[in-house]
Amino acid sequence: MSEFDFSGLLTFWARRWDDILNLVLEHVTVVAVSLVIAMVIGVGVGMLVWNRPIPRSVVIASAGVALTIPSLAMLAVLIPPFGLGWTPTVIALVLYSLLPIVRNTVVGLREVPPAIMESAKGMGMSPTTVLFQIQLPMAWPIILTGVRVAAQLTIGIAAIAAYVAGPGLGQFIFQGLSSLGSKNALNYALTGTLGVVILALVIDAVFVSITRSTTSRGLRA
Amino acid sequence: MAFDAIRDGTPSAREAGLGALKRLTAPLIVLLVLGLLLWWLSTLTLDSIEQRTLNWDYIIARTREHLGLTIVASFLVAVLAIPTGILLSRTTSRPIRATVLGIANIGQATPAVGVIILLAIIWRTGYTTALVALVAYSFLPVLRNTMIGLQQVDESVRESAKGMGMTPNQVLLKIELPLAVPVILAGLRTSLVFTVGVATIATFINAGGLGDMIVNGLKLQRYPVLITGAVLVACIALIIDWIAGLAEDKLRPRGT
Repeated sequence: MSEFDFSGLLTFWARRWDDILNLVLEHVTVVAVSLVIAMVIGVGVGMLVWNRPIPRSVVIASAGVALTIPSLAMLAVLIPPFGLGWTPTVIALVLYSLLPIVRNTVVGLREVPPAIMESAKGMGMSPTTVLFQIQLPMAWPIILTGVRVAAQLTIGIAAIAAYVAGPGLGQFIFQGLSSLGSKNALNYALTGTLGVVILALVIDAVFVSITRSTTSRGLRA
Repeated sequence: MAFDAIRDGTPSAREAGLGALKRLTAPLIVLLVLGLLLWWLSTLTLDSIEQRTLNWDYIIARTREHLGLTIVASFLVAVLAIPTGILLSRTTSRPIRATVLGIANIGQATPAVGVIILLAIIWRTGYTTALVALVAYSFLPVLRNTMIGLQQVDESVRESAKGMGMTPNQVLLKIELPLAVPVILAGLRTSLVFTVGVATIATFINAGGLGDMIVNGLKLQRYPVLITGAVLVACIALIIDWIAGLAEDKLRPRGT
């Protein structure tokens, strides 16, 4: 049982401000890197399978299996082949991000009204041109929503990755656990946890503005 | 079976076959993976440290702890969160509802590992703490789904029920709740699978479970132990998700 001491927490923050900023930066970096990789793979796979029923259900089912596996287990099986640190963390985060991104890509590409597809075809566009110039821009807001869900998910999972020497704010949470009983245990764990919550809320807000600014002008509400 | 197909709205026989195949995928994958694991372990010569954990007694004890924690926590969440959600959806006060939904959204942004470790620091380590953390963590999503499920019932359906002379309680029990069942069950299913994962983290605060095998395997550099723990946890999560999926199909109201 440790006492909560608010001024102690403020001193803690003041003294370790550089460390905190560093961890926040690491956390954002690992999530961003994973999301970019997951987007390239997820949107690519989504574009390949969106109109093929069997590959589509196989891809979505396997991404669903990946998402069901508990994060500590996923990180654990990645350690023997990839060691500790950034590599297993990024791979795990990419695997968890795939389901929301692939699923939303498929849904977005399929939801383009048939009339629009017909008109594009009538204008002489090839299926590939229709996919890139018509469907992808129209599906973009839905794809980004998938990425946003993936971001929320991976920010939380990245906290656990600190256990396998991964980067980010999780290090403070585990530092709190390992200094259990000492004066700073609560400060460490609280700073790490609050940092992750604030980061998640800020990144969510960032996504709202990214979605607005990258949506094709004709589609903006 | 024929009735099932009609109810599910699957028109062609091919799609119905695909659906049945989909339903069998998870258990087949789990059996295959467990088989591979057993085969791999049988080809290894285990040293004394590995033998201490890679035996049936130890594995069954850890699995039992893990399942116990998961099931007790999920049961508590179901009996606490669903009635609270129903009560809250009865209030006409918008601020209360908005506050609850807002808190639920922030709760989702909170990392589970943070919640469980913070609770261990300010309270104590062990099983009870892990249970409280699990319940607190899964409570909000289930509560939220219950409220959303009741809210999304079509206003005109509610009106017709009222017009047929049903009392508010009858409308709730006979119309709104059955129609909200799919959304409520989806929430419970998510929280069940999630609980399996968080119960793995419970090892950090000495609450047992299969996470012990992962952590020991990592600390002692015994990869067979680590892999066995991880694979078992993953299989439990997949099987629980599969069972919950079957329950979802069975308990869905007929007309929808």
